[in-house]
Amino acid sequence: MDTQSLTLALGDATHAGRTFDVLPVAGDEPVLQVTVSGAEETPVYVTVTDTQILCLAYLFDKQELNPEQLNDLHENMLRISVPMPLSALGKTGDHYVVYGALAPTSGTAEIMQELVTLAENAIDLLQTFEDYLA
Amino acid sequence: MRTVLKKILTAMRGGVNELGEAVVDGQGNRILEQELRDAEQELKQAKQELASLMAEAASLARQIRTEQDSASKRESDARKALAAGQEELAREVAERIVGHERRTAELTQTRELLQQRIAGLKERVQRAEKQLADYRRELQVVKTNERVLRTTAQIDTNINSNQSSLSTAKDTLERIRERQAREEDRQTASATLEKELTGADLDEKLKAAGIDGDEDSVNDVLARLKGNPAQ
Repeated sequence: MDTQSLTLALGDATHAGRTFDVLPVAGDEPVLQVTVSGAEETPVYVTVTDTQILCLAYLFDKQELNPEQLNDLHENMLRISVPMPLSALGKTGDHYVVYGALAPTSGTAEIMQELVTLAENAIDLLQTFEDYLA
Repeated sequence: MRTVLKKILTAMRGGVNELGEAVVDGQGNRILEQELRDAEQELKQAKQELASLMAEAASLARQIRTEQDSASKRESDARKALAAGQEELAREVAERIVGHERRTAELTQTRELLQQRIAGLKERVQRAEKQLADYRRELQVVKTNERVLRTTAQIDTNINSNQSSLSTAKDTLERIRERQAREEDRQTASATLEKELTGADLDEKLKAAGIDGDEDSVNDVLARLKGNPAQ
């Protein structure tokens, strides 16, 4: 699965009542911005490497957080990461992200499942951790 | 692996890679790739050597069997010669038997040495395979890390700079709340419509006014039973 065939596959697919809006992100790396219907506020970014299909959604930046509560937030993020379906929490640069990695052999159904779950998880997480925002 | 992970963490925490530059420098990456190729080469050689040694061991086993077969065949020949009183001939055959047995012993010794070498080589192959898996895992971590950094840098430049898709978490939460409220309104509206269509809204109003069809029927039946207790 590469980003091009993924763009084509997602273009007119529906999964669990959702549709997908796919936009390639300009640049050297093949990156897609996928907007899942019903969870438009948290687009999912998809990139395909030799070893995995990486999907990630942004939650918040370090600068947006209340610095005194950082430790508490980190603790809670680590704890919530384990039971959350198909996603894990992480940090890249100053961005806190929720992400999921799939095997490159995954089919469209698995990828769509991941995208829907990730977008919904991102919304749930934002609302859960809202109190930590400065 | 530990070294690679530590390098990545140090670099990340130091903010070295905010622009998505390679964490483990290009040199380090090349060294890792070279190590990977060396390990692959070593594994290939060890496997080739192993294959030829195993073939040699199999051929030795075959030769040993042939010698043993010949020896036992000659033994029965010797017995026959002895039975026929041909002592001289039997002695000649016995000399052959000694030859076969000596070669069997020599071949067996060679084969044992060979098997020791095979065992050692198998261990080397296993070690090389493990090492190779380790290098591949390390390289995968380094490459994935670089890819994630480049990808997020690309998203930030492209999307953050020309639209508000990467807006602040507070904005996003506001938009989520607005959509959720809209969805709730839609659900309420369609539930109301549903009630109107099925007449459920009228039933509710009647119930609220103390007029309940089901309850009334039960009361009617009870009144009838009480009125005619004999029946």
